Amino acid sequence: MGKDRYRRQILVKEVGQKGQKTLASKHAILIGGGGLGSNSANLLVRMGIGHIDIIDYDTIDKTNLHRTSVFSEQDIGKNKALVLEKRLQSVNTDVQVKGINKKVTSKNIESLIHNADVIIDGTDNIPLRLLINEKAIKHKIPWVYAGVYETVGMVMAILPKKTACFHCITPTIPAPKTTEIPVLGSLPATIAAIQCNEVIKILLGKQPAGLLIYDVWNQCFDILDIKRNPCCPICGKK
Amino acid sequence: MEKNKTNDWTNPMKIIVKVFGRYKDISGKETIQLDIIDGNTLQDVINAFVKQYPALQKDKNRMMVTKNKMFASFDTIVTQEDEITLSPPVVSGG
Repeated sequence: MGKDRYRRQILVKEVGQKGQKTLASKHAILIGGGGLGSNSANLLVRMGIGHIDIIDYDTIDKTNLHRTSVFSEQDIGKNKALVLEKRLQSVNTDVQVKGINKKVTSKNIESLIHNADVIIDGTDNIPLRLLINEKAIKHKIPWVYAGVYETVGMVMAILPKKTACFHCITPTIPAPKTTEIPVLGSLPATIAAIQCNEVIKILLGKQPAGLLIYDVWNQCFDILDIKRNPCCPICGKK
Repeated sequence: MEKNKTNDWTNPMKIIVKVFGRYKDISGKETIQLDIIDGNTLQDVINAFVKQYPALQKDKNRMMVTKNKMFASFDTIVTQEDEITLSPPVVSGG
């Protein structure tokens, strides 16, 4: 089943048999199972990441359906992580999908991420990303930030002590004024796909790009080359 | 960093600022030339940019600004040799 399933991906010279085997041996932790997270989970399961934990305490709402994948109207009111586990496990029984119905906090995050090869950001707020960043840097776990707003998406792969970290790029970002963020329905899938490309590259040992900024409305795709801030309190060289 | 402005605009210097994302679309350019004077900060650069493109007023306090490929606070002093970039604020939706 396994070989045939991934045949077309193995033909990609950047992956090959060896790369596919490597992906099967990896453990990804996905924090957040909404617009970004559901799309990323869908892709990573299909691409054959061996173990994927999806963490989300939230339930599926009708207002999630325009930008998520996998979920249907019948899932409204159910836990996002558990629905993703059930649905995606049936997509690929070669990998192990585990849904975790928990809120990620400063108290439990280390136990949730301790065995991760990579952390994937599917969250929707800056404070939680800063917490992920701090713990990922501390435990030397690579992670991939992604965010969306209106028609703009951003992705940045963070390699602890090698690339700039999330704190390096957000030292002065104020808290958002509204809780309901406007998002074009197709945007999270687009950005999640770019995020997953970065995840695969990390797992296969390729150096990621800098901060990717994609404005789908204006068709602007930019890569911002960012250096580590030596004075960063999280990843600084001190 | 402490400001040391002379406020002498008789001999302004030209600074090249690279812009990203929708800032390129709004300005119609990938690089913008702005006038600065000795002692100007990144905040002054942003103010001059927003003055040229008032549609970006709402981003004024939230822009991502880099100086020589590193994020920098708005009170950082700039010189003509610095490589400055302005980008839309980090997005947080999921």
